[in-house]
Amino acid sequence: MAGETLTARPTVSTRPADDEAATVKVSVRDLHFYYDTFEALKNVNLDLEDRRVTAFVGPSGCGKSTLLRVFNRIYDLYPRQRAEGSVTIGGRNILDRDQDLNALRAMVGMVFQKPTPFPMTIYENIAFGIRLYHSLPKAELDDRVEHALKRAALWGEVRDKLGQSGLSLSGGQQQRLCIARTIATEPAVVLLDEPASALDPISTAKVEELISELRSDYCIAIVTHNMQQAARSSDYTAFMYLGELVEFGATEKIFTNPSDKRTADYITGRFG
Amino acid sequence: MAVLCPMTDETLAAAAEEPRAAPGMTGTLRLYRRQDAVFRAITFLSAALVVVVLAGMIVFLAHGAIPALTAMGPSFFWTSDWDTVEDVYGALAPIAGTLITATIAMAIGIPVSFGIAMFLTEICPSVLRRPIGTAIELLAGIPSVVFGIWGLFYLTPVLQEYIQPALIDYLGPLPVIGMLFQGPPFGIGILDGGIVLAVMVLPYITSITRDVFMTVPPLLRESAYGMGCTTTEVVWKIVIPYCRVGLIGGVMLGLGRALGETMAVTFVVGNTYQISASLLAPGTTISAAIANEFNEAFEEQHLSALIALGLVLFLITFTVLALAKWMLLALDKREGR
Repeated sequence: MAGETLTARPTVSTRPADDEAATVKVSVRDLHFYYDTFEALKNVNLDLEDRRVTAFVGPSGCGKSTLLRVFNRIYDLYPRQRAEGSVTIGGRNILDRDQDLNALRAMVGMVFQKPTPFPMTIYENIAFGIRLYHSLPKAELDDRVEHALKRAALWGEVRDKLGQSGLSLSGGQQQRLCIARTIATEPAVVLLDEPASALDPISTAKVEELISELRSDYCIAIVTHNMQQAARSSDYTAFMYLGELVEFGATEKIFTNPSDKRTADYITGRFG
Repeated sequence: MAVLCPMTDETLAAAAEEPRAAPGMTGTLRLYRRQDAVFRAITFLSAALVVVVLAGMIVFLAHGAIPALTAMGPSFFWTSDWDTVEDVYGALAPIAGTLITATIAMAIGIPVSFGIAMFLTEICPSVLRRPIGTAIELLAGIPSVVFGIWGLFYLTPVLQEYIQPALIDYLGPLPVIGMLFQGPPFGIGILDGGIVLAVMVLPYITSITRDVFMTVPPLLRESAYGMGCTTTEVVWKIVIPYCRVGLIGGVMLGLGRALGETMAVTFVVGNTYQISASLLAPGTTISAAIANEFNEAFEEQHLSALIALGLVLFLITFTVLALAKWMLLALDKREGR
């Protein structure tokens, strides 16, 4: 397994450790996606495993972000965007017309290219998402907020200023706040759409570290332009090109011995 | 600037090649420096002009108001006898009328405007967006005298025949709130004025609110939806708090218009100096009173009383602006900024 190539992580979770057989969490079959008439995804098939990190790489416009946006159906906000095929999460095809989108998005959390703290205090940023689904007594809510912030490695930096605006944090802290906010609702799948693209190297390192820690609890899908980041922090890598899934496999194999020439060209920087 | 930069570069390049060109260069630079000084002076004068005009306005109002205010004393503000024959001027009726009509206008105008803006930005299919937006802009372009005619000849009969009798029948008997709906249905009156004002402020608040809602970054909206929020939650918890500065600005613009609007209100408000708890009773507003009486105010005291009314209107507007600023600060504090 590619998992061994990553350095040892502290196990925070009580869930089974790495070596147990991974279960498939998200299953994509014959997926096509259209922006109006433009076909942005062409017959994509792949499985995402639980407690593994899957990285999506490829040149701009290859459809990797589009694929991520299918998993929580955020594309539904816009007219003339549609998906065909099936994406099974938790035993049900989420592309079904009668899929409850709020329930889906509670199950599939997403972190975006830029930090998007909500216009409220740091505490409220986290509590907001929890309150959408549970009405908890104050003490319990406090615990959940603290837990989420600790999980996102942000607690130490913000514990004394929970009452300050989320916008008062630095960019890297804001992005970790967004990750904390996403995991506070305990989703099954976490989608990260170029989470470090707007961050400086130190913040990027912190976010990557965080991703590898979260790996023990979640099924994580990450879109990235940064090859080193994909190589460092993922178990599986999917290379996409012009809307097609060209190659998908263990990260180690994709980076050391790719079977498709296009993959080899891309990861060695010959195009893209 | 666009002209200035390349020319300077050219001059510098020439200077590098030919040292003798140096005197010419200093000449050019001196010219630019003089241009810059003139430009700065012009912008400064423009800014200073605003302050001078404002100060002049305050001096004029205060000076003109002195005779009436010294004659009447503080009772100018809290009595409601307005008798030009006896030279007794109490401004409470127009002050109350101004505040109440503006309140009615805001009570109707703000929710409807916000509703339109939310519909346009969050829900509306893109085919409808443009026609509705254009309709709102056209509404803003209608002169106020036209609103006055519409209010008097169309809205007033409708109010008198259908709406006011219904209000009297159904809300009149209720405790407390019933006080607002007593007396005969005149049609014209405070409520009529308030409704016309609501229609007039609607396009202002709506177009600003819509533009402000559009400034919400798509990513922020997506992250809120991505958390599993419903449209209602996104609008109330994310969009409105994010936009609050602009929203309060839009409301203030509408309120400013509602407080100062003269023509349309004069048509429908009734123009009587009386105060009644009932919204159905006729009344007057500050601007309507001034507009109605200025051309027959020959007595010094009468004229001065009208100017004093103008001063009061100015003070009300100023207070409203100050309250808005204070409210923004309080909101910032609550959000932890």
